[in-house]
Amino acid sequence: METSKPAMLELQGIHKSFGSVDVLKGISAQIAKGELLTFVGPSGCGKTTLLRIVGGFTSATSGRVILDGEDISNLPPNMRNTKMVFQSYALFPHMTVAKNVGFGLKLQKWPQKKIETRVEELLALVHLEGLGHRSIDRLSGGQQQRVALARALALEPKVLLLDEPLSNLDANLRVVMREEIRNIQERLQVTTIFVTHDQYEAMSISDRLLVLHQGVIQQIGSPVDIYERPANEFIAGFVGYVNFLEGQVDSVQNGCDSVWISTEFGRVELDHHQKDIAKGDNVLMVIRPETVTLSPWNGDESQNSFHGTVQSQMYAGNLAKYTVKFGQKEMVIDHYNPMGSRKYGKSEKVKVTIPRNVHVLKRKTD
Amino acid sequence: MAELVMGSIVRKNWWYRLRAFINANLINLFAGGLFALLAVFLLYPIASVLVFSLWGDQGFTLDFYAEFFKYEFYYWSFLNTLILGLATMIILLVVGFCFAYLTTRGPLWIRKPLKMIALLPLAAPPYIFSISLITLFGKNGMINNLLHLNFNIYSWTGVIAAQVLAFLPLSYMMIENVLNAVNPSLEESASDMGASEFRIMRSITIPLAAPGLLKAALLVFVMTIAEFGNPAILGGRTPFLAPDTYLMITGEADFNMASVLSVVLIAPCILIFILHNFVLAGKGYTTIVGKPTATELRPIDPAIKLPFLIVCIPVTILVLLSFGVIVFGSFVKIVGVDNTFVIDHMLNTQSNLAIWNSFKVSLGAGLFGAVVGTLLAYVIMRGKFPGRHLMEMLALSGFALPGTVIGVGYIIAFNRPPFLLTGTIWIIILNCVFRFLAVGVEAGISKLHQISVEIEEASADLGADFLTVFFKVILPIMFSAFVAGFIYTFMTTMMSLSSVIFLVAPGFDLASVYIFLTAQLGELGVASATTVKVIAIVAVSMALLKVIAKKTGLDVQKQGV
Repeated sequence: METSKPAMLELQGIHKSFGSVDVLKGISAQIAKGELLTFVGPSGCGKTTLLRIVGGFTSATSGRVILDGEDISNLPPNMRNTKMVFQSYALFPHMTVAKNVGFGLKLQKWPQKKIETRVEELLALVHLEGLGHRSIDRLSGGQQQRVALARALALEPKVLLLDEPLSNLDANLRVVMREEIRNIQERLQVTTIFVTHDQYEAMSISDRLLVLHQGVIQQIGSPVDIYERPANEFIAGFVGYVNFLEGQVDSVQNGCDSVWISTEFGRVELDHHQKDIAKGDNVLMVIRPETVTLSPWNGDESQNSFHGTVQSQMYAGNLAKYTVKFGQKEMVIDHYNPMGSRKYGKSEKVKVTIPRNVHVLKRKTD
Repeated sequence: MAELVMGSIVRKNWWYRLRAFINANLINLFAGGLFALLAVFLLYPIASVLVFSLWGDQGFTLDFYAEFFKYEFYYWSFLNTLILGLATMIILLVVGFCFAYLTTRGPLWIRKPLKMIALLPLAAPPYIFSISLITLFGKNGMINNLLHLNFNIYSWTGVIAAQVLAFLPLSYMMIENVLNAVNPSLEESASDMGASEFRIMRSITIPLAAPGLLKAALLVFVMTIAEFGNPAILGGRTPFLAPDTYLMITGEADFNMASVLSVVLIAPCILIFILHNFVLAGKGYTTIVGKPTATELRPIDPAIKLPFLIVCIPVTILVLLSFGVIVFGSFVKIVGVDNTFVIDHMLNTQSNLAIWNSFKVSLGAGLFGAVVGTLLAYVIMRGKFPGRHLMEMLALSGFALPGTVIGVGYIIAFNRPPFLLTGTIWIIILNCVFRFLAVGVEAGISKLHQISVEIEEASADLGADFLTVFFKVILPIMFSAFVAGFIYTFMTTMMSLSSVIFLVAPGFDLASVYIFLTAQLGELGVASATTVKVIAIVAVSMALLKVIAKKTGLDVQKQGV
């Protein structure tokens, strides 16, 4: 199995408005050859519209779609080398599995023999060997999904578009199909755009994520970037839980790579790896619940530690979850692998220590 | 595989751009063409009727309407029509309810046979009951002779009886739907609280069904006042609007007065249409409840069952007897007088020629109607042009308008250039296509509702242009709707009388017209024999529709109601 050379796709300043509503407000992004990029965001953020613009089903109000250096913005879907797997799969109910997969090839006037060989290959690729003669309505949801994938791959698209392809499957199958799509994509090295509203799905399948919110790109980056170095408050809160803590930069010590931030609960010293942070900045610390450590309260002050009271606790085996209150503020703390270690009860006084490598967001000064 | 790497689809020459343009705009071209067809073959004839009722030799005038209100003959024909509609409606409300109640709540063994009886008249044209009632109760009628009665069938009683029998299926199907939608658990819980059967029916079933019953009654009213055959054959000297319109054209060639009568006939139809769609729209509790859950059979008190059965039994006998005497009458010399077996009526050349003509016309109307209906459904569902709703309303209006009105409209509109069609077979075919368009359109729309737009996008994505998508994907998927539309149009054209009777050229008989004329002349043998043949063709068509309904879940006979 081989595909044509993967492509480089470029979106340039894409705007889309429906009437007076601006759905996309200037989207620019580059997708590398062979990369799997996910458009992710809450519903209504414009991710499906953006995908449809790439596929040619919707035209952008302004902006360009460039594929391998060629402007394809005004081409209809059938003249673009992008192929879509639809949310509803959109399989032809009056054709067999093999006819569905071979539909595009037939339109390309491939000889029948070659179509058959190619369809067999594709069915093998998606693990549907021997089901070519089945009619579509006699397939399970997961099988239909595979047929849709095979059909889109048949024409060796330069870019494969997947519109929430897993949303019609039940939870277990979603995970299986997610891994399978990723495997096939990596094997064929086909440039792929994947749309989902599920953050965890996006994190686990993507090379990079493009997070959309209110028609604007919030951040483009690898799953690690998104989680560990979120660009803003929205991104920080988008994947996983986060505790925010406000503060002001007291001093920056370039010599020992430290930054001092004062908060309403005291001063903390963090690693200085963000060069844009300067003295006097108002900042927001992004504190992940699992990075914080809890210890018994012993009265003495130590670095990066606050004193608080356990508000509630929940024990789930692999994880003990605490809510700790400081003054008016609450912080959620996850203690993974709590087996054998000290547990804290409700109303117990505790010491909370935040790590030096906490990510810091710079706040705009109003 | 290397040699199979496909060529670039992205080609930029002008031919591809032109083709892309055509593909992008074809649906609008279709829409334009269909609008033109609807305008010429529906709007134009109906507008012509309106114009002719207001336009004399000296231009605009209200004289014709003045004449209508001046002469007793005219306005009584209007009042009689309303009385006939009202009487039929009330009787059918009761009879239909009795049948529907017993088939939805009665003892199991009685449900199927009763339902079959109630639906049996569907297999025959409505005017069959005039012929059978004449055979039974006419001057030499079998029952009149047998019981030495002197009953006159050419009377109000006769017309009403024929109408009740002819429209029993319509009223039954609508009321059955309504009763089916009343959740049985409501009745059960009432019963649980100690309510008597009579109490349940009075305070649960009927109140819940009332809005649906009202809608059913209104539809029966509209359909009966538009009926031509029964009042024309059995009306005797009593004037009714539909037959009088016909007489106005054939007897006096008075197109203006015929137009006035047509407008007068449409008026109550439009009134009820408005009532139906705007006042009653959304009223009714039954639709919310949804499908009834299968429950244990609740035994019904005989005190309830018995009166219902007493209503159903004579109707059942009449329906069965009607079909019986039609078959009997086709094989005896002179029914009721000389009951010796003959095959002459069945072999009658004129009758067979009329059947053959009808067959040809119906085939043409069916094919053309299915094509137009499928295209219309597609354009209405997938088009993005303004006026789609207007288009849908126009397409469906042919079904709601009285046949005589469309007949008059066609004869006025198409006996002069630019559309000179009078006397040709085409005027009949076109008339039937556009009168019966609604069912094919509805079938196509309901089929398209099942198909996600994504299917069309997917085909485009895979490299198909609009034409390819249309022929390779849309049409195959819509094929069942196409076939159902074809058979339905074929079948209704085969039976239709009220509008085609205006359009047949002398010497060119259609089966329905031939039956009508022979029945009027009292030639019951040929009339019966021709009817039997029509029934046979219709029965085969209905069986085919049943097969389609079973295979694809597309039931146009339900939609026809």
